[in-house]
Amino acid sequence: MAKDFRELRRKLIAEAKKKVRESTGKDNLIVQAVSCIDETDRAANLLAKRLREWYSFYLPEFSSSIASHQKFAELIQKKQKKELLAQIKLKEEDSMGAEFPKEDVNAMLELAKALGSLYNLKEKQAEYLEKAMKAYCPNTTAITGSLIGAKLLSLAGSLKKLSSFPASTIQLLGAEKALFRHLKTGARSPKYGILHEHPLISQAKKAEHGKIARLLADKIAIAAKVDFFKGDYVGDKLKNDIEKRLKK
Amino acid sequence: MITPLKFYEIFEQKKGRRRSLFTKSLVPGKQVYGEKLVTEKGTEYREWNPNKSKPAAAIMKGLNQFGLKPGDKVLYLGAASGTTVSHFSDIVGKGGMIFALDFAPRVVRDLVSLCEIRENIAPLLEDANKPESYKDKIIHPVDFIFQDIAQKSQAEIFIKNVEMFLKKGGYCLIAIKARSVDVTKKPSNVFNEVKRFLRERVEIVDYRELDPFEKDHAFFVCKKR
Repeated sequence: MAKDFRELRRKLIAEAKKKVRESTGKDNLIVQAVSCIDETDRAANLLAKRLREWYSFYLPEFSSSIASHQKFAELIQKKQKKELLAQIKLKEEDSMGAEFPKEDVNAMLELAKALGSLYNLKEKQAEYLEKAMKAYCPNTTAITGSLIGAKLLSLAGSLKKLSSFPASTIQLLGAEKALFRHLKTGARSPKYGILHEHPLISQAKKAEHGKIARLLADKIAIAAKVDFFKGDYVGDKLKNDIEKRLKK
Repeated sequence: MITPLKFYEIFEQKKGRRRSLFTKSLVPGKQVYGEKLVTEKGTEYREWNPNKSKPAAAIMKGLNQFGLKPGDKVLYLGAASGTTVSHFSDIVGKGGMIFALDFAPRVVRDLVSLCEIRENIAPLLEDANKPESYKDKIIHPVDFIFQDIAQKSQAEIFIKNVEMFLKKGGYCLIAIKARSVDVTKKPSNVFNEVKRFLRERVEIVDYRELDPFEKDHAFFVCKKR
């Protein structure tokens, strides 16, 4: 009996290993890439705030003159204090910044350098994601763009699951908390989840958000099904449909 | 001082008000999930954390019957990374065997690593809702079934497996997550429904709710008629 089990166990381990190996698909890679972009973004924001705080002891007036973190990190690396002062048209004696020895300033610049490479990483990953999404689900990507498409994929778990969802579920992906609050307590229902990041929604009037989310979700549901079952490309047609509906 | 409980191969240690559970480590010196290892009189014990493992939580809540004994053949549905499985593996010991099943490739990855260290566990990447698909892969009837899966139809899945694989009079335990059955219903109503459903099919010998260790979870100890 024990010997039977020993052999069976060996066989089952081999089989499980094989199944795990074969279960890895493009979905997994896309989900990881989009999470990586999200996390890089968060890390970069955090460090950028630290850098601005830190650098502002040296040259406080420069920080508020530039909104983009990425630009800020680039410029303070490239230019000396004098050049930066000239850029914001401020005399050195009017600045509230203190003078530091070189090594103190260098410590700040090290952070700026690392931050620069984080932004670089994010761009590279975004390029990769764009390519991967266009190859893997071209129709969905045509409607949502690569980032939102990938986030939908990651919330659903896989393209197979996303393609099996009805439009109403897709509309609310990412709004689970609000949805369950609605179901439990009867609070107002959410109108959109991750889709609110879509430019068509974020740029529309507030009152239209729900309607547009519904329209987008309808078309995404179709697109995901076409993507999963490897149909012909209909992304442009779906996109036109959306634009036509919006004009009305 | 580590002393045995009334259940086979499960131990406890009391330190003031704090009470912790232990099992004898089958593979001394190896942690599975970062649990505490304690050696007493040359025997190594692993702490069984009730916050991470539902059977441990049920025992902490004063379970009267557990039913798992050394040498048992076990079917474990919803094994995940193998936290609880590793303690079951300690309890059944070298003479026992555990078929640990889960449906998610990601967790089976960790489970396979565990199986390679512990010789009494065999992994299965299968859907517990389709017992036909692994009927020929395991040795059955088994002596003991434990299920911990967060599915809407968890009770039906449980009964399906019990009817197919458990020997007569064998123990079967299930952890029910009320939120998976229906988030809008009150957990106590869900538990009552499940209780009614199970009572028609198996004999319920013990029941515990698992708070504060797990929110909205219940634990049933049953026996096949």
